[in-house]
Amino acid sequence: MKFRQPMNDMLSSWKMAAGVKRSVLDIIIRCSRNAMVVTGTTIIIIIVSLALLAPILPMADPTPSQLVPEDALLPPSSNHWFGTDELGRDVFSRTIWGARVSLTVATLAIFFSLLIGVMLGLTAGYFGGVPDYIIAGTIDLFWTFPSFLLALAFAAALGPSLGNVILAISISYWAGFARLMRGQALSVRERQFIEASRALGAKNLRIMFTHVLPNCMAPLIVWASIGVADAITIESSLSFLGVGTQPPTPSWGYMLYRGIAYLQEAPWISTFPGVTLLFTILGFNLIGDGLRDVLDPRMKGMRR
Amino acid sequence: MADLVSYIIRKLLLAIPVIFLATFIVFLMLYMTPGDPISQIIPPHASAEDIEKLREKYGFNDPFIVQYWRFLERLFHGDLGSSVARATLNTDIAYLLIQRLPRTLELMAIGLTISYSIGIPLGVFAALKQDTWKDRSVMVFTLMAYAMPSFWLGILLMMALSVYTNILPAEGTVGGFKSILLPALTLGLGNAALTTRMMRSSMLEVKRQDYITQLRSRGLPEREVIFKHALKNAILPVITVVGLDIGWFVAGAVVVETVFAWPGIGMLVTTSISNHDFPAVQGCILILAFFVIIGNLVADILYAFADPRVRLG
Repeated sequence: MKFRQPMNDMLSSWKMAAGVKRSVLDIIIRCSRNAMVVTGTTIIIIIVSLALLAPILPMADPTPSQLVPEDALLPPSSNHWFGTDELGRDVFSRTIWGARVSLTVATLAIFFSLLIGVMLGLTAGYFGGVPDYIIAGTIDLFWTFPSFLLALAFAAALGPSLGNVILAISISYWAGFARLMRGQALSVRERQFIEASRALGAKNLRIMFTHVLPNCMAPLIVWASIGVADAITIESSLSFLGVGTQPPTPSWGYMLYRGIAYLQEAPWISTFPGVTLLFTILGFNLIGDGLRDVLDPRMKGMRR
Repeated sequence: MADLVSYIIRKLLLAIPVIFLATFIVFLMLYMTPGDPISQIIPPHASAEDIEKLREKYGFNDPFIVQYWRFLERLFHGDLGSSVARATLNTDIAYLLIQRLPRTLELMAIGLTISYSIGIPLGVFAALKQDTWKDRSVMVFTLMAYAMPSFWLGILLMMALSVYTNILPAEGTVGGFKSILLPALTLGLGNAALTTRMMRSSMLEVKRQDYITQLRSRGLPEREVIFKHALKNAILPVITVVGLDIGWFVAGAVVVETVFAWPGIGMLVTTSISNHDFPAVQGCILILAFFVIIGNLVADILYAFADPRVRLG
């Protein structure tokens, strides 16, 4: 009897660890069988690694200090794979460097939105009562307000800079995460294992972060992936309108805007960054949609 | 019926703080703008004392909340301030907006028509051919069209239909009705992807219902089952979200009008931003936000009509 208890504990914890491992492995296997996740991940891996390797790839300088006017508007060739723009800069290297900007802005913006959203949503959903009343009202306000207009208003007011774009997108996007988190927390807190851990004397913070949050991870991951796609769209639209990333920093939206004037004689200026932009957004959307099918079949068709 | 009325009243009441949030945000926008708001109206060679007098006169030295209250008061009387851009100096912003509003409205109306006349048939088609290559190609199209930022779609259409083929005019309004087609098509195609997806999933759901099986077993021809009975029920949830599409169209309109130099409110936002005409930006954002809020409200109410369960929630 004396050694049975620890044995049992060991056994069950071993089983639990195996169970966790199996479920993670299981999810990975199911993801690898999902065509959407695989296609999306492949696209994103290619674009992210090109963006990460940009400084060491043998490419032309995206923002040369010495412009060469003779190189302007050259069509794609072995020297300039994507041609050159109206100032003679290499479109290929600017597209790759543009990926760095877009991906950094989008992931940081979604990271901050997620942080604000999870904190507020978890607090509101878990505690209920007055904090919930106030937070849920704020969430509803921001949720109803059109996010692109909000981002546009803030970006225009704060003035164009990378940090301000990140701030503007975070302010306009956090409500979605908060709403999701609050809904999940509301339903999870009623489950029996929460009551059990409270009976065992666990503090609120501990329950919130070790029990409630992990149970909400699946939909959060799905939404974060789709969120990155949305953030890239917003960032490029802001740059297109001239309130996002400022020249000479290469950004897809601004490159497309400049290219409009040269559609006839140099369509490559707009086309290549445009195609890369489309595939990046598509990639994150595919990952999001696929993961949703894998992680939570009930959420199928939830997004319009 | 009583629950429907109370539901609508609840939704209307909820819209009020959202409208206040909109006014607060646009006010904050001007407040946060770097640089002195007075700098636009300072006469040349003004002394520091004169500037201080001007600040006092326009109330820029008052506390934040007082300034906001004054802003609300003026807004309530339809006074949106006047433009500080060089081309439209001192023009009433309300006047500028009213001038531009019809342009944006007609663009949205035609865009919406295009979106529904592509999305609904395509969605029904995909649902009827579920899991065949036809269905899959429609889904790939919607994925691409959904991921495509509207300015990039606009540039592509401009290249295909204007720059290389000269079918439609690329910019401005000089081409009469033809001029609106390119921007409206850009707005419509993007939204058609959403409509198609919704129509497809709604149709698939209805197709599985018992009453459809029953109609089939009575020997009704498939065409009649689908188009006379299933379609009617499947189309309802798609139509009820028309209000939500307005949000999409508003964001799209800002970008698309800029691409095609279409002189609506969206383009006014962009030009005002680059002219640092912040009172005009305020006015535009306020009116666009108002559209979206009304759109959401309409969607909520239509939805409650279509699905009585929502009224209780």
